[in-house]
Amino acid sequence: MGAPSGMQRCKGRRSSKPDGTSRDMAARVVQTFSGWRTMSCELDGAASAVAVSRDGSQVVVAGRNILKVFAIEEEAFVEKVNLRVGRRTSVNYSCSDVAWHQLDDNLLATAATNGAVVTWNLSRSSRNKQELLFAEHKRTVNKVCFHQAELHTLLSGSQDGSMKCFDLRRKDSVCTFNGQSESVRDVQFSPRDYFAFAASFENGNVQLWDLRRSDRCERMFTAHNGPVFSCDWHPEDRGWLATGGRDKMVKVWDMASARPRELFCVQTIASVARVKWRPERRYHLATCSMMVDHTINVWDVRRPFIPFAAFEEHRDVTTGIAWRLPHDPHLLLSGAKDCTLFQHIFKDAKRPADRANPEALCFGPRGDVAFAAKEGLSANDPARRALPGDRRNPFFFIRKAPEPYDASLTQQHSGSVCSVLNVFQRCDAKEKLNPLENESESFVELAQRYCLAGRPFAELCDHNARIAMELCRHQVAQTWLILKLLYAGGDASPSPALLPNGGIFCGKDGSSGLGGDGMSERGKSEGHGDGGLEEPNEETEGSDVENLTASVGLYAAAAGLYSGNGEEERLELLDQDTTTSDFPEFSLPPEAFALRHEIVDGPAGLEHLQTNGPDGPGSGDEDGTDEGMRSACQGKVGGSTAGLGITAAESVSLISVSQPLFGQTLPPEVFAPAVIAMLEFYAERGDVQSTVSTLIVLGEKASGGVDTLVQEHWYLSYLELLQRFRLWDVATQVIRLSTCAAISALNHDSTSLNLNCSSCRRALGAKGWLCDRCRRCASVCAVCHHAVKGLFVWCQGCSHGGHLKHMHDWLSASPHCPTGCGHLCEYT
Amino acid sequence: MIHDAQMDYYGTRLATCSSDRSVKIFDIKNGSQILAADLRGHEGPVWQVAWAHPMFGNVLASCSYDRKVIIWKEEGGTWDRLYEYDGHDSSVNSVSWASHEFGLLLACGSSDGSISVLSCLGDGTWEPHKISNAHTIGCNAVSWAPAVIPGTLMDAPSGPKSTPVKRFVSGGCDNLIKIWREEDGQWAEEKKMEAHSDWVRDVAWAPSIGLPSGTIASCSQDGRVFIWTCDDPAGGSWTPKLLHKFGDVVWHVSWSITGNILAVSGGDNKVSLWKESTDGQWKCVSDVNKGQGISSGPDETRPEQ
Repeated sequence: MGAPSGMQRCKGRRSSKPDGTSRDMAARVVQTFSGWRTMSCELDGAASAVAVSRDGSQVVVAGRNILKVFAIEEEAFVEKVNLRVGRRTSVNYSCSDVAWHQLDDNLLATAATNGAVVTWNLSRSSRNKQELLFAEHKRTVNKVCFHQAELHTLLSGSQDGSMKCFDLRRKDSVCTFNGQSESVRDVQFSPRDYFAFAASFENGNVQLWDLRRSDRCERMFTAHNGPVFSCDWHPEDRGWLATGGRDKMVKVWDMASARPRELFCVQTIASVARVKWRPERRYHLATCSMMVDHTINVWDVRRPFIPFAAFEEHRDVTTGIAWRLPHDPHLLLSGAKDCTLFQHIFKDAKRPADRANPEALCFGPRGDVAFAAKEGLSANDPARRALPGDRRNPFFFIRKAPEPYDASLTQQHSGSVCSVLNVFQRCDAKEKLNPLENESESFVELAQRYCLAGRPFAELCDHNARIAMELCRHQVAQTWLILKLLYAGGDASPSPALLPNGGIFCGKDGSSGLGGDGMSERGKSEGHGDGGLEEPNEETEGSDVENLTASVGLYAAAAGLYSGNGEEERLELLDQDTTTSDFPEFSLPPEAFALRHEIVDGPAGLEHLQTNGPDGPGSGDEDGTDEGMRSACQGKVGGSTAGLGITAAESVSLISVSQPLFGQTLPPEVFAPAVIAMLEFYAERGDVQSTVSTLIVLGEKASGGVDTLVQEHWYLSYLELLQRFRLWDVATQVIRLSTCAAISALNHDSTSLNLNCSSCRRALGAKGWLCDRCRRCASVCAVCHHAVKGLFVWCQGCSHGGHLKHMHDWLSASPHCPTGCGHLCEYT
Repeated sequence: MIHDAQMDYYGTRLATCSSDRSVKIFDIKNGSQILAADLRGHEGPVWQVAWAHPMFGNVLASCSYDRKVIIWKEEGGTWDRLYEYDGHDSSVNSVSWASHEFGLLLACGSSDGSISVLSCLGDGTWEPHKISNAHTIGCNAVSWAPAVIPGTLMDAPSGPKSTPVKRFVSGGCDNLIKIWREEDGQWAEEKKMEAHSDWVRDVAWAPSIGLPSGTIASCSQDGRVFIWTCDDPAGGSWTPKLLHKFGDVVWHVSWSITGNILAVSGGDNKVSLWKESTDGQWKCVSDVNKGQGISSGPDETRPEQ
């Protein structure tokens, strides 16, 4: 069969009058574009389709109970014509689709649910605008479509599985195309090929037909899994066809190639009812959904998961969408089941893609940082991709190799945005200088190696200090030593190994330091005090020295006091001093410097000192030196690790100087405020490990001063951390050693295991390994045949087991149970 | 595109979620990541994932553009859906588990402006509580306060131990940060905090490890990162401190477990770490470039009108 008779090209042949007016209107529309805004109007019934006149000035809304033409004014929709007229509302008017001819502003076609196809002529003077009625389809007509360039050609697609082409000058169809594959959901003339049209079917197929051949389709392919509800040709001459289906996907096909090739696939969150390419935007298309989702999404087909823009005005399922003008990408009209008609303006659209978070960041418990960031396609170009080792900031982190995720995503999103996930690991070994790094490693080390009980107090302190020192935690190490000095007394001279800088300090000071008597040291500090006074705002290092000399002065003074004055003052000084050497933040610089002034003044000032000390900052001079002290403190804590090491070490050397002067006569309560301050200081810095460890080692010595709730919180925090690092045994030890009742109770929670004797089934009593009745060892190691007292491990399959070590050794050699029961033991 | 990555409690697993609807779980072993599971169930881009405390087993929550929140549980090596919540009218942007003391309790922030709090009842059913209109235009981030409000501890009277208050912080498109607390089973807005001049992208409540004050970090589209501190145990007064103004959107803030280092990631593809120095100033201790050439990307990333 040839071309339908009477088909004529009408380009240029059309009478110019309607054409001219519409062009004028189009010009007006473009001019007033900036004035358009999102607007809506209420409809009499739910819409099922919308169509726009060519000039974009009018819109027709069709539905089961509505068929109306609205003029689109700047501020509102104005109803122009109601096409459902007459007393009897025919089923023929119950529309499932509507089309507006793109050449004739007066020509409309509707598809009816009863199978009728109706055309309307708006230029008719009578109230009834109906022109033609074709009642040829047996079932609902799902779609009508005018030919873009042919005035009289109309195509319909029906639920009965056939498509019909009508010539509007005749009373019946010109030809019928039988798709032979279930219901037709959509038909679309190709803008590229004059005779071609595409049809989509309920069974997932898409067919390409030639108008001149009605016997069979040109080509057919399965586009979707499930019904294909909609298809749309790309408005530009590209041979691209977009299809949308119930499988929640929109696919773009290249129909120009020998075999239809899938170019893009967009995954939406609901089944796709309509697809419309966006004018003037090559990769954009709008979709609306059949259920669940009420929004109209505009997709960039290259970004398959997140809509480029979304219009969320409708409150029920959107059924019809139409771009208002063929060359304006900003105006979209839509009708919905919520009985509203909307004009959407693109600038009011939501931009989910902009909201999407392109980066992921996570701080792992071990100090790793996982970071994923958007990676453009161009970065896949090997020339542009930086080598893994090429780091602008090689300090602090090393980057692990990009993981498989990277590759898979890149492939998956061919041509779209993808991410690269990096896990940055703390770098070890090289830069131990930075106290920040290795924080988690040293946490684990310290947790495992700290000795918290079982040895004399002094030994514990020494041990822990040594470990802290090994891990470059100088300040913590010094804290341990000081604690030892304070509480243990006795052999107090720190081991030389711990004081690498002590000698330097002594040299700088010009003093032999150790063993000097009070008066001679005072002399030294006098000299330094003078030096400090001349330059109260020295650089950090200078201030450091000042600080130290001040400390020396303090100790000297303390010595003097001890020998001469009452006990109260001495204790006070001692407390302050401890604080100073422990933590710079808590130091009391004004007092220290006030003291120095006194020393400069001479021995007579000793009494003055006691009044001045508690007074705190007063004179401007003191403030100045206070500044210096502060900067020194910052230097120490803020990262100058070398400085930290030196000062800490020096402090200790000073303490060791003064320690013999205290003798062993002091009651420990004296130190309590300082120690508590120390505990709180560490806790505040987030180093709850130091707090709890010292708390445990100190035991009764310190626990009295701290509120139990606070202690509990510290313990719980530390336990939480230990558990995060899976240091169960350490956690258990901490719980056992804790002085908090609430914490100790943790170990009694659901920890009882009731054992029965393996031979006589009697429940075992207090002695877990010996049965009262049969007098046999109940839990015998399967390897060594001795009773197991301690860690007992057994297979849950054959219930044989024994010493952890024995079983471990055995199973590393053989997978079978050592008893010979033949069971393949499984230990997790 | 990966939208979120979260390490589990022990740091041995990493969950990522992506636009391609997938949630993937990696085992981290000896510095490499091995894909352990690929969870399919969402029908839209998955924005965020969150691990629950391991005392509940391996439980992961994910939220997606498809308006759903799915709670996954691993049992016998396979991941199954434990619960699916679809009570939101728009994309769900953020999920966060409360401290384990409160049981399985999940907060979800959505683009519909509401926040849902899902609590697991003993019998395996879930009860949602919805806070409508929490943030106009949408809620972008939620983060729970630690179970112990630190301020109450330091000067705690030796009275009976009070039950900890459930609190969380949320940030939204109204440029506000809000703190919510539960009172008699109802969620009430406790505090509204305003400092940002654009959408708040992320909020993170610092873990309370011995810290004397409550601390919240927030970051925004306007490039600024604020640290909010509260010394008042009643939680009444929060003072913001500007950490830094970045040149681009700041997407994420994340605290280290001890709560003293803050990682910040911004639109310039950089991660920087910040630590508070002793005088209360926040200093950048390290920044690390993503290491990949920052690509201009295809034209589609440009905003179009």
